[in-house]
Amino acid sequence: MICASSSPAMKRYNYRFIATMLGYVAFLGPAAWVFSHHPPTGIVAYLLAVLPAIPIVAGLAVAGIYLGEEKDEFQRTIFIQSMLWSIGSTLVVTTVWGFLEHFLQVWRLELYLVFPLFWFFVGVSSPLIKARYK
Amino acid sequence: MICSTSNLAQRRYVVRMWVAAALCILFSVVTALEFKRGHPTGVLTYLMAILPALPIIGALVGTGIYLLEEADEFQRNLLIQSLLGGMGAILSVATVWGNLEDFAHAPHLDLIWVYPMFWVFVGLSYGVVTLRYR
Repeated sequence: MICASSSPAMKRYNYRFIATMLGYVAFLGPAAWVFSHHPPTGIVAYLLAVLPAIPIVAGLAVAGIYLGEEKDEFQRTIFIQSMLWSIGSTLVVTTVWGFLEHFLQVWRLELYLVFPLFWFFVGVSSPLIKARYK
Repeated sequence: MICSTSNLAQRRYVVRMWVAAALCILFSVVTALEFKRGHPTGVLTYLMAILPALPIIGALVGTGIYLLEEADEFQRNLLIQSLLGGMGAILSVATVWGNLEDFAHAPHLDLIWVYPMFWVFVGLSYGVVTLRYR
């Protein structure tokens, strides 16, 4: 999907999404540095911890804006289907792993990994869904 | 959607979801009792631990089947929009809380809560999306 930049909406989506990911990196680095060198306390700690999550949430909003802007029905359908498959897969992984953690105390899957896991599944499912329509 | 039972696809979907919910409760009780009475060993431990996750996976598959079976384009679109809303909300919550756990040592949110929280957000989205079309 990233390579197919024929649609103007897709192009805008790619730029916006890359901008949010750059924002994530830009916020994560300083936040991690502050927590390791001068750990803040109280409300400042919470605000600083949430800071890197803001571009992530913005990335989701960008995906929503893309769906609103995309005129190509086919591209929109592919995107929606890949996101539905991915949220389904992510929920399967979190649920199965959640029960394993609960009953067996296996290695803990951190909550912040749910977001990259979701996009991993989007990356896997998008070409498969496209291949179905070929 | 849940209340109107005139639509055959919806009726089947509601029945499937109730069966999945009942099985999830039953399997959770069986697994909890099994782990309480005597700790199972070997591969059986893992199988017992993921037993309650199986009806949850079934419910996700059931949702996918409903989306395929639903002939009413409007109803299908309502659910898809609600699922996307729920997806955005749960990914945002998981990321924000994950960062709070990692940096600010906020209380740990078990992964098994991701699935029920997703459906709470889908329910809220459904209300909002339905209101938009009134």
